[in-house]
Amino acid sequence: MSVSRGTPLLRVRDLAVEFATPQGTVRAVDGISFDVHENETVGIVGESGCGKTVTGLAILGLIPSPPGRIAAGSIQFAGRELVGLDEEALRAVRGSDISMIFQEPMTALNPVFTVGSQMTDVLKRHKGLTAEQARREAIDMLGKVGIPAAARRIDEYPHQLSGGMRQRVMIAMALSCGPKLLVADEPSTALDVTTQAQVLELINALQDEFGMAVILITHDLGVVAETCRRAIVMYCGKIVEKAPIEPLFDRPRHPYTHGLLDSIPRIRADKLDRLPTIEGRVPDLLHLPSGCRFADRCARATNECRAAEPDLRRDGDAAFACFHPWEGAA
Amino acid sequence: MELLQYSIRKIIAGIPLIIGVTLISFLLMVYFGPDKTFDLLGKNPTAEEIAEVREQLGYNKPFVVRYAEYLRELVTFDFGRSESTGEPVTGLLARTIPVSAALSLPGFILGNLLGVLLGLLAAFYRGGAPDKFIMASAAVGMSISFLIVIIAFQIIFSSSFGLNLFPVRGWSMDTFGDYVRYVTVPTLAMVFVALGYNTRFYRSVIVEEMNRDHVRTARAFGVPPAQLYYKLILKNALIPIITRIMFSIPFVIISGSLLIEQYFGIPGVGKATYDAITTGDQPVLKAVVALTAILLVAAQLLTDILYRAVDPRVSLR
Repeated sequence: MSVSRGTPLLRVRDLAVEFATPQGTVRAVDGISFDVHENETVGIVGESGCGKTVTGLAILGLIPSPPGRIAAGSIQFAGRELVGLDEEALRAVRGSDISMIFQEPMTALNPVFTVGSQMTDVLKRHKGLTAEQARREAIDMLGKVGIPAAARRIDEYPHQLSGGMRQRVMIAMALSCGPKLLVADEPSTALDVTTQAQVLELINALQDEFGMAVILITHDLGVVAETCRRAIVMYCGKIVEKAPIEPLFDRPRHPYTHGLLDSIPRIRADKLDRLPTIEGRVPDLLHLPSGCRFADRCARATNECRAAEPDLRRDGDAAFACFHPWEGAA
Repeated sequence: MELLQYSIRKIIAGIPLIIGVTLISFLLMVYFGPDKTFDLLGKNPTAEEIAEVREQLGYNKPFVVRYAEYLRELVTFDFGRSESTGEPVTGLLARTIPVSAALSLPGFILGNLLGVLLGLLAAFYRGGAPDKFIMASAAVGMSISFLIVIIAFQIIFSSSFGLNLFPVRGWSMDTFGDYVRYVTVPTLAMVFVALGYNTRFYRSVIVEEMNRDHVRTARAFGVPPAQLYYKLILKNALIPIITRIMFSIPFVIISGSLLIEQYFGIPGVGKATYDAITTGDQPVLKAVVALTAILLVAAQLLTDILYRAVDPRVSLR
């Protein structure tokens, strides 16, 4: 796996997203940088509230404003700067060059319009198709995502479909204009396990067919292991570790990643009394500790960790932000 | 077929409501309301005279019998004659209801239409200056008494102290121009007051819809704001909007214009009701109460049917 592969499709640099709250300004994403190359799948992993969804929304310029705003940084897509672009230009990008699918298939589709009406709307807007062409295209897409009797189902309303089917519709809609990048925010979390696997497989299969890059936002390391080539681990709005999948799982460097991997339920020879967890709680973004944000929950923390924040250190293909990283195998 | 079955079921379910409303109203009317006894007697009536008049008016019959008579009148829709003027009650209603409808319809439609528009505008700019201005105006509209608004508007638009453009009161219809002349000031007063309540309500409904996940999805697919608000959000907000509009219809037609008709001297059903209340004209009151209850049930039925038209998740089964 080589690091240099020309210009990345997506280049995020020092991105910071702030939200104004009655208690003060909160930095949900605090100076993160990463690249996504064409055709690859990158996972963004972390607990809820770590800023992973906000990162996804920021890429599409969807940070609700007010109260949110992109406070600093740059997001370049195919060489073009997206931060600071006006709404109209961003609208032309959304759903056409960059698509996003969401966690809640139950509520993410508009309940009072048919599947077809929501899909053709996107096609008409971005590809300039006529109603009839758009409908044919939409039926075609529904077939591709594995919806049986697509020509009939297209006239149904979201509530007439199961959760898995709805997520398939979302995917069909997201891919209908041939995006180069798909931001998938917990696409399988709300589904039952068998459907989860199907949806993830579908995304993977279509990724090859459409030749697009995927950013998979999830809290589920299992999902990342199966679908991604690289992963970015976020904690409290910062990237704590990023690495290709195998080294990340075999030899996690950051204690947080280590803890996350330990807390995955698995079949063990000796049953544990309780699953290992990461002690303590995620600090409140309003009252962040001065040093490393993970220090209070970290067994390896020293005074050094509480005094200063570690920077992201490069290590070959990987990078981690820790003064006392794990060295050996996990 | 589904619709017909549903309507029949709904109408049958509405019967207890009509009975409940009429029973309570009739109870209050008979035991606490004014009656005609002393209007029809001279000064210093004797006990026999009083008894005789009450006998003639039917006041001495047991309550159950009187209520049963009321129900019979309700079913045949024949409430007899007004005890004040001798005019058949049905004729009185047929004469006054169209006047009230013509009077209140423009204000009702404008009040809701503008309410939705201002609600959308405030929601779109929520937190910003337009939102604050619209909401402050709405609070003012809600806080000022309807009576003050009526009198103020009469002075502003219809007196020599103000613009002197419209007649202060009255209702004589020959041409459409007359209609516009007489209906303008009452309409403005109605819209002014209705807007306060409507705008607040519609804004909150629309803001709630704006925060739904599917709105975020729509934005993620590049839906432009106009389409987002006027099509996607508004259609979702229609259920509470329809509910509010439909349920205010019976009151708008029957009693909502009571003050307006009184102050502008307009011979509508509101004024007829007001006169009937003050003089104890029970046949008219009975008819108005019954009609309101029936309209409420009808509005309920129509509301459900409209729900079905707007929201595919609603089933009439």
